[in-house]
Amino acid sequence: MVLLSRRALLRRVGGGVGTAVAGGAVALAGAAGAEAAEVRQAPADAVGMLYDATKCIGCKACVAECSKVNGLAPDTAPSNGLWQMPVDLDVHTKNVIKLYADPATGETSYVKRQCMHCVDPSCVSACPFNALHKGDLGIVEWDGTRCIGCRYCEVACPFEIPKFEWNQFNPKIVKCELCRHVLDRDGQPGCTRVCPTGAVIFGRRDGLLAEAKQRVAARPGVYHEDRVYGEREAGGTQVLYLSRVPFEKLGLPALSDRALPAGTRHGGGFLGKFVALPIVLYVVFLRFFRRNWRVHEEEVARLKAERGLEEQL
Amino acid sequence: MAYRKPGTIGESLARSGVSRRDFLEFCARLMVAAPAGLAIASHFGPEAVAKELAKARRPSVIWLHFQDCTGCTETLLRTSKPDIGTLLFDLISLDYHETVMAASGKQAEAALRDAMTENAGKYVCVVEGSIPTKDHGVYMKLAGRPALEVLQDVAGRAAAVIAIGSCASWGGVPSSGPNPTGAVGVDALLKDKAIVNIPGCPPNPYTFLGVVLQYATNGTLPALDAEKRPLFAFDRYIHDHCPRRAHFDAGRFTREFGDAGHRQGWCLYQMGCKGPITHAGCSTRHFNEIPDVWPIGIGAPCVGCTERTVAFKVPIFEKSEVPTPMPSALYPEIRPETGSVSPVATGIAGTVVGAVLGAAYVAAKRFSKVAGDEAVPGVPLPPSAPAAGKDKGSGSGGKGV
Amino acid sequence: MATSAARSVPLPAPRRVAQEGVINRWQRGVPVHEVRVVTPWFLFLVGLFVVGTVLGLARLLGGALGPFTAMTDAYAWGVWKTFNVMALTALGSGALAVGLASWVLGRHHLHTVMRTALVTSFLFYATGLLGLLTDVGRPWNFWNILLPWRWNTESALWEVSFAMPVYCALFLLYENGPMVVERLWSSKNDRIRGWVRMWHPRIRKTYPFVVAGAYVAPILHQSSLGALMVLAGHKVHPLWQTDMLPILYLVQALVCGFGAVIVVVMSSCLVWRRPLDVKVLGELADLMSFTTIAWLVLRLGDVIVRGRLGDAFAMDRWGVLFLLETTAVAIPAVVMRFARMRATPRAVFGMAMLACVAGIAYRFIPTTLAYAPGEGSTYFPAVPEVLITMGLVAIVVGVFSIAVKRFAVLPAPLESWYHSVEHDRRLSAASRSDAHGHADHD
Repeated sequence: MVLLSRRALLRRVGGGVGTAVAGGAVALAGAAGAEAAEVRQAPADAVGMLYDATKCIGCKACVAECSKVNGLAPDTAPSNGLWQMPVDLDVHTKNVIKLYADPATGETSYVKRQCMHCVDPSCVSACPFNALHKGDLGIVEWDGTRCIGCRYCEVACPFEIPKFEWNQFNPKIVKCELCRHVLDRDGQPGCTRVCPTGAVIFGRRDGLLAEAKQRVAARPGVYHEDRVYGEREAGGTQVLYLSRVPFEKLGLPALSDRALPAGTRHGGGFLGKFVALPIVLYVVFLRFFRRNWRVHEEEVARLKAERGLEEQL
Repeated sequence: MAYRKPGTIGESLARSGVSRRDFLEFCARLMVAAPAGLAIASHFGPEAVAKELAKARRPSVIWLHFQDCTGCTETLLRTSKPDIGTLLFDLISLDYHETVMAASGKQAEAALRDAMTENAGKYVCVVEGSIPTKDHGVYMKLAGRPALEVLQDVAGRAAAVIAIGSCASWGGVPSSGPNPTGAVGVDALLKDKAIVNIPGCPPNPYTFLGVVLQYATNGTLPALDAEKRPLFAFDRYIHDHCPRRAHFDAGRFTREFGDAGHRQGWCLYQMGCKGPITHAGCSTRHFNEIPDVWPIGIGAPCVGCTERTVAFKVPIFEKSEVPTPMPSALYPEIRPETGSVSPVATGIAGTVVGAVLGAAYVAAKRFSKVAGDEAVPGVPLPPSAPAAGKDKGSGSGGKGV
Repeated sequence: MATSAARSVPLPAPRRVAQEGVINRWQRGVPVHEVRVVTPWFLFLVGLFVVGTVLGLARLLGGALGPFTAMTDAYAWGVWKTFNVMALTALGSGALAVGLASWVLGRHHLHTVMRTALVTSFLFYATGLLGLLTDVGRPWNFWNILLPWRWNTESALWEVSFAMPVYCALFLLYENGPMVVERLWSSKNDRIRGWVRMWHPRIRKTYPFVVAGAYVAPILHQSSLGALMVLAGHKVHPLWQTDMLPILYLVQALVCGFGAVIVVVMSSCLVWRRPLDVKVLGELADLMSFTTIAWLVLRLGDVIVRGRLGDAFAMDRWGVLFLLETTAVAIPAVVMRFARMRATPRAVFGMAMLACVAGIAYRFIPTTLAYAPGEGSTYFPAVPEVLITMGLVAIVVGVFSIAVKRFAVLPAPLESWYHSVEHDRRLSAASRSDAHGHADHD
């Protein structure tokens, strides 16, 4: 006679292994959790733009050039077909100039809006299949072979940048990608190339940040709160803003320094969420389940004998 | 000039033989001159204006000249079509006007006295030219009396005073620095009289005629701005209605008289045009009834002749400061509106939600209120069935409703 | 066996008040034999289903999302993702809630409602997935789900789109298997009976292992549904936006799970004239109340710790909404603490209904009513969107009523089971004309 039936042995060994795995998983989760909650930094060669609203004259040359370089049909609908007159970023407009005007005080300022190319983008964290991902030079790019059109990127983006082609059968997500398809040829995106006053310039993010801070230091009290928008907002963005008027009035939301994906990342990361936690839960549930299962099966056998009918599962 | 008894304008026109066509043309120009804000011109067509004017009594007008150049009179007489010189005397009863009246000397003085007595309290006094105030006003005398005194005397008994031209409105040329005669406008001296200022050097005649005829037809003066200028003619900057504005917006400027831009009619802002800071209607009502006959139209920058702070003070070629550099309305707002709510969908959704909640309420009512009641819900108690078990709760509460 | 076996309508049970120690009324699931599948109400549901399907297919095959919905870039998620998926799958968490209570916590009495919970959950999840399918703009790229190196495991939506179909197709189908297999026992076909004989023991053997996993999966994706709105950041009103959204959504799913099972079971008893079992219902209500209290503690604690309690009393529409929602959840929590209330059918039904409504409201609000991309943007579903949603719900109700009549789902007393067994034996033995005569009476 065997001392332990095969089943009993399997049970015990299984139980032991299960507990060990669970324990190890918890330990792993702890380590993974610490590592996954790190703050992401911009890549060393990250490029971006610096937009100085005090220099912008609202000529909209950047809007026209963006359409040309990106092969987009100008949005003439708001003007009934007369001029390119986009009212907002949309599927024909990757870059737009808007006007802030306060009739009471007469305060006005232009603002250029396009993708901010965040250092730790919410849209990239949101996209289920990495259709939106951070590519070379830190540019946030869209890959049509992976996108399922769920529009989570639109919900996640704090600046509301990605636009979806609602009325196309093959809908794309449209947003500024810093003209990466011509960056080699032209060395800079279309908008910065045609800006007559140098209100928007292109370059490496660290260089642009230094330049922006220099401008603030050179003219104290001119720039709002003497700071650069995008240096730390939402974990930092590669497109930086300088403005005389408060940023909120230009439509740039007040954001904390914490990148939102950091909040969803902590909690163990992949190992914690999808390995450790399920294993721990499974092992715990199984232990209780099997105990109750035994009771249940005994009851089933008794009732079957009593009533003569197959009991239900 | 013979003293005529004023009848209605219509009678006068009939008597003088001015053609109806000419009168209608005049009415049409009056409507163009005052697109809004002038009661007598707010009709659908010149015929209606003509009808209203024809019924009006010709107002008695006494026209005083002080430190003037007579340019404002000339602007009235130098209209070309119809020949308003003729028409004028049918529209108003010009009882005293030193330039056009036939009388002179003592007859002129008598005419003035008679006109004032006959129409006391009813005549319109038009003042052309500024009034010197220095040294007891000796610098302008009429029949030996200083202008100050004449003004108080004649304008004092007038029903309304119209100060025509920049000089009468605020001092004009004579008042430009150093103003040796102390020249001022009418409203600086007459504090409690209804005054209408029609500045300009010269102003548009239709503005003047509009005010006078309105007074004649219904006894009211048009709405005035803070400087007592009729709003229908002075409510906007020249810049806001200038035909060359598109050139300004697109950055096409004349840099020198005679250059290519000047030949093509480009904006004259860089040449010192005071359009952005001058209220007047010249940009829409040109002069002499010939289109484009006005300073900017012929390529000369506006000098701001209607504004007391501009004309004869700010150098002609000094650039004016655009007071409201508001960008054009073609820029999108920071936060445009999106989305729409379909009323049909709201209706359907509302109905469904209401139906579900209603059904839930009805269903809830069908369940028993009795604690521990395990009977089939909603089924009434059959009369023969026994109430089984030790009933702890309330007695059989009838149906399970 | 009662001679009333000859009648196809079971007698209405005499009114009886439950006493201590009396065995449950509800012993096991019994099919509803007395009612035909095709009734006028059912035809209405079929009509809704047809309309919804035609529109859904038109949208998928023929058109883009724009013409069929009122979604814009400001409100990129319409009613399908937010209602059919995020809200209705809360109602579909009955399997999780009741399953955990009965199998893990050992509340054996709840086994009788287990099948109802499973069918309901399966239907809500399946229609939720159909809604999700109608909603995605580029469904042909969904094959990326098969390539693990393309997964973004950081994304809550990936978790949902991976785990929900797996849960629905694998676990829920497996858990719903036994009632189908049971039906096949009485099949005339020998091969099928042989197949059943082979597989039934295997199902029994593997049941604990598979079903334990069936409780892990929904915990993961119900909390991921909550995590979805965390990334929306400042666009969700601070009264709702919190890093604790995953836990709150999960606990709320349990609340709605219990509530939905109560509502479904009681409504079914009302419609198909089954007696109630206050012990089981009371237990469900008790569990629901506990879970609701736990949720309230978490929710209010979170709002207070984040310092947002002042917003609740700001008397703007969000503050009022928060107060309404919290009150609506608190009422069932408190009322169901009283044993006498738990024994009263009307109270239990009403409170469960309220808990469900408040629960789906809570899960729905952060995605729409408290989602403020900025002034000037509005959204209300378009007519096709509403009709497709109604079609999906019609599927749930319609298929549930079919399932209830074909399979042993609804719990009933033992007498009913005996009637049903007789009924089945007669059906399988009798000729066709006989079966026709007996089968369809109302």
